[in-house]
Amino acid sequence: MLGKLMGAVAALALFVGSASAADYPEQDIQGIIQWGAGGSTDLVMRSVSPHAEKVLGRSIVMTNKTGGVGAIATQFVASQPSDGYTLLMSAENPQLYKVMGLSNLDYADFYPVNVLARGVPVLVANNDAPFNTIKELVEYVQANPGKVKMGSTGPGGLPSVVGGMLSTQLDFKVTAVPFDGDGPALTAMQGGAVDFMPAVLGAAAEHVKAGRIKILGIFDLEASPVLPDAKPIVADYPEFKKLLPWGPFFGVFVKRDTPDEVKAKLVEAFKAGAEAPEFQKLLDDRGYIPLNISGDEADAFLKKWQSTTAWVVYDAGIAKKSPEEFGIAKP
Amino acid sequence: METHNTRRPGEIVFNAALFGFSLFMFWQAYQISGFSALSSAGAFPMAMSAIMVITSAVVLIRSAGLASPGGGFAAFRKEVLPPAVLVFSLFILAYSVTLKSLGFLLASFLFLLFSIWYLERGRIGRTLLLAVVSIVGVYVIFRLVFQVVLPEGIIPERAILAAIGDFFGGSN
Amino acid sequence: MMDALSYLFASWLQPELLALTAVGTFAGIYIGAIPGLSVTMAVSILISFTFGWEVNHALALMNGIFMGGVYGGSRTAILLNIPGAPAAIATALDGYPMAKKGEAGNAIGLSTVMSFFGGFVGIIVLAVAAPVVSEFAILFQPRDYMLLAVMGILLVGSLSGESLAKGVFAGALGMLLGTVGLDPMTAEQRFTFGSVDMMNGISPVALMIGLFGVSEALLQLHNLHLAAVKQKVDKIVPSFSDLKKYLPLSLQTSTIGVIIGALPGTGGDIAALMAYDHAKRVTKDPEVPFGQGAKEGLVGPESANNAAVGGAYIPMLTLGIPGDAVTAVIIGALFIHGLNPGPLLLVEKPDMFWFTVGNLTLANIFMLIFGLTGIKIFTKIIECPKGVLFPLILLLSVVGAYSINNSLSDVWWMLGFGVLGYFMKLYGYQVGPVVLGIILSRLMDDNWRRAIISEQENLPAFFYGMITSPLSAVLFFTILLILLSQTPVWKAIKMHAHPRLGRG
Repeated sequence: MLGKLMGAVAALALFVGSASAADYPEQDIQGIIQWGAGGSTDLVMRSVSPHAEKVLGRSIVMTNKTGGVGAIATQFVASQPSDGYTLLMSAENPQLYKVMGLSNLDYADFYPVNVLARGVPVLVANNDAPFNTIKELVEYVQANPGKVKMGSTGPGGLPSVVGGMLSTQLDFKVTAVPFDGDGPALTAMQGGAVDFMPAVLGAAAEHVKAGRIKILGIFDLEASPVLPDAKPIVADYPEFKKLLPWGPFFGVFVKRDTPDEVKAKLVEAFKAGAEAPEFQKLLDDRGYIPLNISGDEADAFLKKWQSTTAWVVYDAGIAKKSPEEFGIAKP
Repeated sequence: METHNTRRPGEIVFNAALFGFSLFMFWQAYQISGFSALSSAGAFPMAMSAIMVITSAVVLIRSAGLASPGGGFAAFRKEVLPPAVLVFSLFILAYSVTLKSLGFLLASFLFLLFSIWYLERGRIGRTLLLAVVSIVGVYVIFRLVFQVVLPEGIIPERAILAAIGDFFGGSN
Repeated sequence: MMDALSYLFASWLQPELLALTAVGTFAGIYIGAIPGLSVTMAVSILISFTFGWEVNHALALMNGIFMGGVYGGSRTAILLNIPGAPAAIATALDGYPMAKKGEAGNAIGLSTVMSFFGGFVGIIVLAVAAPVVSEFAILFQPRDYMLLAVMGILLVGSLSGESLAKGVFAGALGMLLGTVGLDPMTAEQRFTFGSVDMMNGISPVALMIGLFGVSEALLQLHNLHLAAVKQKVDKIVPSFSDLKKYLPLSLQTSTIGVIIGALPGTGGDIAALMAYDHAKRVTKDPEVPFGQGAKEGLVGPESANNAAVGGAYIPMLTLGIPGDAVTAVIIGALFIHGLNPGPLLLVEKPDMFWFTVGNLTLANIFMLIFGLTGIKIFTKIIECPKGVLFPLILLLSVVGAYSINNSLSDVWWMLGFGVLGYFMKLYGYQVGPVVLGIILSRLMDDNWRRAIISEQENLPAFFYGMITSPLSAVLFFTILLILLSQTPVWKAIKMHAHPRLGRG
């Protein structure tokens, strides 16, 4: 009895398995989110996927696989078959794995199905801090080197990269206190544990609007409609023009050697997902800049991002290995 | 557990192993960042492993002072590792090793079948029923409701699920 | 005011909302009871699922799951010695011994009523004092979190069992295990031996399932054919006199729960452990010693972890800051539903606040109802033959460990700790301190380092800050007082002052 059942199951499997890539997708797709539930990557992926599912006609089963700044999820997807049934839903982190000595993988091993959006970094401070603009902050830090406490999220995170950019371009010495993420760091700043911190606009905007923290300026080329009064850093320090625009991003990836028909199908689905008005509103509300790019365009974006960031973290002394070792060109 | 004046069989070996492990971990903790800074990544692990070294040394010395249990290996087998524990542990080990290659469904089925049969002796019909019912229950809750993708192994369940879905929902 | 009232009772009067809350609470109890399935996981799956719903409908379901889930962990903790969630660890310490004596029904009944009580206290504080409590919560600095961790660690003293040295060893081992993996602060690898799988560290849940559940199952195999203890099921709802007796204690531990829950860096697991410690300290002469089935050991943690639910909503609703992992996901859900949870939410959408308060109250009531029904069937679980029960426990443990992070390495950890726990228990080590250690490890390590970095590695400045900041000073002297009260010197002084009392 059991044998017969197993036989039937095996036959069914053979039948189903023999279909070609042209019929993709013929079963549920697994989406591996490299950050935990409730984080911004999780949020973005869970809100774009329902729209993409409609186009694909199959569900995307999303799984959080955290740890090692996302390296564990990245490694896992790389070890799965290149059939398009396992997606990597991730943020910017893999582009720094090589220089941080975490993994030999980066986005060169994956095909960008869609780089959905980019965040804008801002500099915010405790209300009692003795500076109100980026210029005043820089001057204060230069007068009191090492005394000012900067909230951070660990090496390779947004605050450390922005801090690295500041310290390589200007004489900027602060004490970085690392927290578990920008949320906890912003909270600690309200309690006075740190004086200022670089954060992504979306995480800080509501607190700024409520007057619980103050914004010093935007770390971008132009002001943002979310907080129009904040001055971009290039207004006072034009030397940052060559590094900007820069920001964390979110994207959906599959393994590079996935069949082209599958890639095309996924690109189409996630393009539709990224264009959905509900998703666009979510990005606007959180202060993210929609990118919605894929293929070669996304590859160029990823490459530029990696070269800028890897060299900044290396020059700031955060990286363990030189980008040169991996053939990452100097910007 | 009440205080006793005699060691349990194997106790001194276990305590010595913990002491050795603590020393090893202290050395490993030292390797992280040495004595570089109070805030270094290795500072806290070093402090904790140092406490482990000290306390495990105290425990080891104390247990060495107790009377030997006697009875040799036979007593160890009887008091510490009776056959039921040993065999059941081997089942668990086999289950975990095969979980990935055989897949959740098959490995769990075999594990339940063999271990219930071994521990309860007999009544194969009831064992079979129990195994099937519990696996179906677990599968529905974890895989279908909570979308935990359990190891697939040799049964292509995703394809089967999709085929069933298509059959009932009509292909799209 | 009328508006507030109408929002407060919105979920009581609309049938769909009422039904969703009930379904959520019921599901939550079982999600909480099954190790490896967590409320965080359930709520984040619901985000995609409730995508097209109205926000109140989604919230009703999530609130119910949260309330039920925190309580549900106690079920398996009492019946199988496997805490369904970290918040139920302390419940297992005295709940499981009660079940072994045939008092599982009584234990579940008591913990249900106490969870209800604690949940209610949490909601009341949320309703009347949310702004004050949240301003207080954000005052906590890294140094204060570190002191809280130290306070939690003092519990090792009372969990040690036969030998303090073994207890301290176990506590330090847990702390050390908590540091394994990629250090989030420096990205340095600690004890990973170069393996990517190790970078994720050791999951406290895997460790907990192994040390508590698997090791217990293995130990019980020693006397496999001993008949299971017959469970008394006549006295499930605790008597009024019992309730009156435990009311002061549960009020105290609920307060601990609300505050710990409201702190953004700590949640129900730590609240329950600290409440257990508190219960043990203030209960002068329990009917049954702690660790052997003391009812006070159930009352403390169970009222605290449900009080922490209300606590966790406090910073979330007033400041947009999550009080724990679950509220972090709920904040995400609010974003997806087009709301902007932040400090302005309370001003712009006060209805959200009153809706949540009313809905949590409803969920709490459902929890009491569902909790008190069906206990008889549940207690039957432990009466079934061990030869059937243990393979099933193992199956559930394996699947549970796997589900934590969809990885087999957690299964291996779980089994490894099952074996370690087996030997530890055989040789007179307690496993409680290991779990306590791993839970407090990061709180202690990270905050110690944050505090000392903030003082630029200057130790005198660190201690100066400790006694000059009012909050730190209070915490610091409380710790000193607790330590002193456990030493022989203190007992000698007390004996001297009240010779008759001391002997009792």
